[in-house]
Amino acid sequence: MAGILQRWGVWIAAAAVILVMPVFVTSGFYITMLNQMGVLIIFALAYNMLLGQGGMLSFGHAVYFGLAGYTVAHYLNGIGEETLPYLPVSLIPIMGGAVGLFFGVLIGFVSTRRAGTTFAMISLGFAEMVTALTLVVVTFFNGEEGIQTDRWVGPEPLGITFGSDVQVYYLIGAWCLIATAAMYALTRTPFGRMCNAVRDNPERVQFIGYSTHRIRWLAFSLSSFFAGLAGALHAVNVEHVGFETVGLAQSGLVLFMVWIGGAGIFMGPILGAILITLLNSNLSDFTDAWYLYLGLLFMTVVMFARNGLAGLIVMHEPIWKIKIGLFQKMIVPYALGIGSTLLAVAGAIGIIELAYFMSTRTTAETITHLYWVEIDAAGPVPWIASAAALAAGFAACTRTYPIMAASYNGAIAEVKALVAS
Amino acid sequence: MKHVMKLLFAGVVAVVFAVSTQTAKAVDTIKIGLIEPLSGRIAAVGKDALDAFTFAADQINKKGGVLGGIQLEIIGLDNAMNAEKTTEQLKKAVDQGLSYVIQGIGSNHAGNIIKFIDKHNKRNPGKEMVFLNHSAVTTAFTNELCSFWHFRFDANVDQKVAALVTQINRDSSIKKVYMLNQNYAYGKSFQSAAQRLLAERAPNVEIVGNELIQPFGKVQDFTPYIAKIKASGADTVLTGNWGPDMIRFVKGAVSSGLDTQFYTIYGGLTSSIGGYGSDAKAVNLKQVTEMHENHDGMPDDVHEYIAGYLAKYSDTWYADRQRWLIYMLAAAIDKAGTAAPIPVAKALEGMTFDGPLGQVTMRADDHQLQMPLVVSSITEKAPKSVKYKGNDFGVAFSTDGVADLAATTLPTTCEMKRP
Amino acid sequence: MEVFLFSMFNGVLYGMLLFMLASGLTLIFSLMGVLNFAHASFFMLGAYFAYQISKYVGFWPALVFAPLLVGVVGAAVERYGLRPVHRFGHVAELLFTFGLAFVMEEVIQMIWGKVPVPYDVPAALNFAAFTWRGLDYSAYRLFMLVVSVGIFVALFLFIAKTRVGLMIQAALSHPQMVQSLGHDVPTIFMWTFGFGCALAGIAGVIGGNVLGTEPAMAITLGPIVFVVIVIGGLGSLWGALIAALFIGIMDNMAISYDIALFPIFAMFGVEREAEGIMRDLVDLTTGGIAPVLPYLLLVLMLIFRPRGLFGTRDV
Repeated sequence: MAGILQRWGVWIAAAAVILVMPVFVTSGFYITMLNQMGVLIIFALAYNMLLGQGGMLSFGHAVYFGLAGYTVAHYLNGIGEETLPYLPVSLIPIMGGAVGLFFGVLIGFVSTRRAGTTFAMISLGFAEMVTALTLVVVTFFNGEEGIQTDRWVGPEPLGITFGSDVQVYYLIGAWCLIATAAMYALTRTPFGRMCNAVRDNPERVQFIGYSTHRIRWLAFSLSSFFAGLAGALHAVNVEHVGFETVGLAQSGLVLFMVWIGGAGIFMGPILGAILITLLNSNLSDFTDAWYLYLGLLFMTVVMFARNGLAGLIVMHEPIWKIKIGLFQKMIVPYALGIGSTLLAVAGAIGIIELAYFMSTRTTAETITHLYWVEIDAAGPVPWIASAAALAAGFAACTRTYPIMAASYNGAIAEVKALVAS
Repeated sequence: MKHVMKLLFAGVVAVVFAVSTQTAKAVDTIKIGLIEPLSGRIAAVGKDALDAFTFAADQINKKGGVLGGIQLEIIGLDNAMNAEKTTEQLKKAVDQGLSYVIQGIGSNHAGNIIKFIDKHNKRNPGKEMVFLNHSAVTTAFTNELCSFWHFRFDANVDQKVAALVTQINRDSSIKKVYMLNQNYAYGKSFQSAAQRLLAERAPNVEIVGNELIQPFGKVQDFTPYIAKIKASGADTVLTGNWGPDMIRFVKGAVSSGLDTQFYTIYGGLTSSIGGYGSDAKAVNLKQVTEMHENHDGMPDDVHEYIAGYLAKYSDTWYADRQRWLIYMLAAAIDKAGTAAPIPVAKALEGMTFDGPLGQVTMRADDHQLQMPLVVSSITEKAPKSVKYKGNDFGVAFSTDGVADLAATTLPTTCEMKRP
Repeated sequence: MEVFLFSMFNGVLYGMLLFMLASGLTLIFSLMGVLNFAHASFFMLGAYFAYQISKYVGFWPALVFAPLLVGVVGAAVERYGLRPVHRFGHVAELLFTFGLAFVMEEVIQMIWGKVPVPYDVPAALNFAAFTWRGLDYSAYRLFMLVVSVGIFVALFLFIAKTRVGLMIQAALSHPQMVQSLGHDVPTIFMWTFGFGCALAGIAGVIGGNVLGTEPAMAITLGPIVFVVIVIGGLGSLWGALIAALFIGIMDNMAISYDIALFPIFAMFGVEREAEGIMRDLVDLTTGGIAPVLPYLLLVLMLIFRPRGLFGTRDV
């Protein structure tokens, strides 16, 4: 029993969380958001098969996501009009995966011959081409209006119509678990290891007799399969597929999710997809500058946290595994470091919010709210206060970060000593 | 690794639980959702719409609201010009129990809203929603795609083109017209409406060119198009272009000395005029709108309303239909004696309103507002120039001619299903 | 024949504008190996700076100071942003500039607003220099041509003939060697990046008033600039010039001649139908797909000759 829990505990916990979530979340908006989260978790993990595991940076992976979405939308409409054979909606994602796989095999053959910048540029070229085609090939893409569809089609086994969002939620939840498990299993196979090897040292892989092109092509195709699966679920969830789904913005968003979450760690993309979807859905109610924050967050992670946010968490794994008590000594240094970071961030947010308010306001009114305090944005006080917070926070960071790093290194050294003894 | 996952899920549950607690619904206000881009690249347009609707609702509230004291409140819902977010915001509107949503920027989003509300109203009887469209002009929304739940307060593409063609027919110097449009649903519907209506109403005018370009700023250099227009001997260009496709076209034409007239729908958007820079003074450009600030003979209350708006917002007065929409909605609520969507929708059918150029009517057959339109040309001489956020562009529009209701009323193919 | 020459001429004018934009990008790549995704954003920054400066002191000071300012911003970005990322490899650098493009667009919107700004062609050059086939060619367009040719010649001489240029080339291929000879390689990189950005800034000053200065100009122009330098061969100045001219001329030809593509599909047995997916192909002309052609060319080029026209190594 303990062995089963040890091995499958995470998956059981995840399934349980997915199962009970709708009990707590009753609003349609948040159910839709959770649905989107599930779709994007699959998409982000698929993307990370390229970026994190295969070392291929793509600016156009949404092509496979979107093309599958379009096909599935047409197919659902075909079922509705009874011109196409019936396929249960719950199995539609497989069809989306097949579409993704088809295009992945086709385009992947030419684009994966080289990695690095060539690959990135080809992916950008294909993305731009497909985006342009959405306006040219109207019968399939229907221009900027996109394809509307209705998931409530065909027979209704056990009363499941997918009319309600909660039913779609469980569909996406189930597929999310299956796809995550499948992609996790893939990383454990020899093929998964070869992908890593091709990423890290392609020459050596060639020396031992493997074709780097073959391995990349296979990884690309499988990744496109899962991207297509996610695209199909997206079509079922939103009941509309538009030209945005194949575009650079969609590809950029998934890239942001994966990198902010952490490309080097399996959990990273999941964390990124959850975090970015939450922010994307909710933050725009509070601030107009949300895209700027997203960009700044991304750049910060690129510069300072190679393995993303998940990397920061995993970094501490040895400590709680070996001796969780070591955290006690770290509380104060970490509180100092995090506190000074928060102060700097608060100051920066203050300045950005003030600047945004002044530049986007449409009336002569200069009174606004910053951190729930009523202030006059035209006066110097809030600007000076924000700048002071930023400067003080930054100065504090330069002092507290070494302390934080020292306490971490100390703890790790102790862990090493414990392991050695 | 396992711990990470547990922590993660615990965190998500906590966050989602925390944010999903809803605010209680107030009884003394009627909330109206406005789904527009309030962030991202197009946000300026969305914010202008939000201002216009908020101001209109404030005016109603100052006069005592509707149903003897109930206030109107506009709630901005940001769709960031994205289809998914539009759906998300519609769900939010459903959660908040909103019966009315307004949208207008982007016909693709309007199409999604129509489909969404059709499905929603079918699946949730008793919780119907009504869509009030203030600017999405795809003609099909009041033709083959028409819906009982959709009301359009802007003239559709065909009506606008009808007004342009009527004006072209009045100018006997126009012999050869060149059409240049964006290759997507809107541009193509402009193209087909113009071909049909020119044949019907201005048979003497010859179409010497008919071009579709890749839309949304993909064309950087308009020189080859301008060369073709010049070579065709056209004296007039008829275009539905907007945004960068219009700005670059005009800038290219002026720098190449192309001296044709430009008959446009959206050439006079305030943001475009900013983009033309000093070329705005050199180009011979015309637009079609439901009114403009310098039109003579508008009733005093319109002028007062505009003055009140401009005193508050550092903006220009480009469109009047936001006022019509809120005023007609308020009148319909009063007439129905309830804020429930179905009686209000029925009250809106056939309702009339005194617009700046005369009476406008919400046609019951297709829920398309029937209105006179005015064609005006850009000039340095008009009294009130176009301003935007402290910039005075030094140009404005002056009336060339009015296309009355007879000219802009077109038949519909709508077969409406009523509840 | 005249139509052909005429289209050639217009194509050259447009192509040289593209070259001006691409020159800085290809310079940075050839010397640092960094593909700067935010290059078009520096172009946009140049246009906005020029708008702001010319509002107060006129176009000509803006032509000098706006690129200088953009260059300083670029150098600062290299020093405080790109340099720490350098050790993570080229993918991380590409990601950094991708994020930078995103942030720059937002910041520009924050400062100058989301609607286009009225940035005008200088009045001194806003007259018709000559007229051909009924089209006026303003003195400004000729000025643009002169500036872009000047940039090409200057860059070519700078890299191939001057001591500094040789040193920069050496710093790319043998950084340790150059460092041990007493040169400060990181500083060389910083100013190279700044210089490349300043070139984008010049293109912004000169092109912004023709193309329209608005927040989306970077995103609509960015990909086409990539196409130019990838087709030309990354890092090759000649390649960028030829590719830019080729794309400019191809664009003009495609629109001027507007050849129907249906005969090509017919060769593959496609029949004229009113229904289905073929319906869209029937009406296709080269003019209708002109903006797609560069991307098609890019993909074909990368498949058949990944190093581009004049590239010395794979991308």
